[in-house]
Amino acid sequence: MRLEKCWFCSSTIYPGHGIQFVRNDAKIFRFCRSKCHKNFKMKRNPRKVKWTKAYRRLRGKDMTQDSTFEFERKRNRPERYDRNVTEETLKAIKKIDKIRVAREARHHSMRMKGKKAMERQAAAKELEQDIHLVKAPLALQEDPSLTLPKIKVKVSHPQAENQMEE
Amino acid sequence: MAACFASKWSMAVSRSLLGNLSSNNLGSLGKPQDLTSLGYNGLFFQQQLRTFIQMRTKLKVVDNSGAKWVRCIQALKGRKGARLGDTIIASVQEAQPRGKVKKGEVVYGVVVRAAMPRGRCDGSEVKFDDNAVVLVNKQGEPIGTRVFGPVPHELRKKKHLKILTLAEHIA
Repeated sequence: MRLEKCWFCSSTIYPGHGIQFVRNDAKIFRFCRSKCHKNFKMKRNPRKVKWTKAYRRLRGKDMTQDSTFEFERKRNRPERYDRNVTEETLKAIKKIDKIRVAREARHHSMRMKGKKAMERQAAAKELEQDIHLVKAPLALQEDPSLTLPKIKVKVSHPQAENQMEE
Repeated sequence: MAACFASKWSMAVSRSLLGNLSSNNLGSLGKPQDLTSLGYNGLFFQQQLRTFIQMRTKLKVVDNSGAKWVRCIQALKGRKGARLGDTIIASVQEAQPRGKVKKGEVVYGVVVRAAMPRGRCDGSEVKFDDNAVVLVNKQGEPIGTRVFGPVPHELRKKKHLKILTLAEHIA
């Protein structure tokens, strides 16, 4: 039993799934589901189709080089069955997956790093330029004749208190 | 690739039109809802229905027995037609001038490539690009000495080991 990779989307194909297409030049194309198969028949290039791993790796949206990928490389030499090795491998798979997920999360956060600052900048610019869509420009300029000038009045507290007591 | 793609479309059209000519009607229709459920008979987005190898199916010959292509006369074993790995009786339509078979001869053949998907025991499906056959004699031994192109694993179960040894690539 071997877990293959879909030619189009690069997801794993588990046993019992998918279609294998053998071309006359003996190149085998494996597809995980009919979506990928139909896209292939339409002659779409996976490097240009946004939801495939090929596109994401090409555009740097997903990690390309990492030591955790070395563990999943294809090996053609069959291993002799050894119970201990199998146990250790299963434990290692779990740990490697955890590490890989953590690294991918870190890669994603690095990619999205300047996002908040950029959003704030864009919002400020929009406020400055497009405020006329929300508030009428006349309302923004306060007419000086309508508002009374501000006078500062000094409030004397102790005199008021004396008067109240009396 | 583009040329064989265009020929696939034309073959699909001709097959759907000539569906009633063959004796095995049920096999050629397959899933009728694919053809008629679309409001228009648009050829471009129809799913290609690949069916069995039956009478009058043209098959490419991929060995050096001398024949170029054959036409199936009878599919042995199979009411609807032959599939990947089955034997058929065919009539040689075109042959190379100095070969072991001549045009018009009735020969046996083993289907080594079929465009119709064949289910494998692990649940996946395999399909090839075209329909191809290797000519054999009545005992099942290949007439030619070389086989071109990929051949499937299914031949091992059908005991066509000679063809497997001659093959250049086993899919």
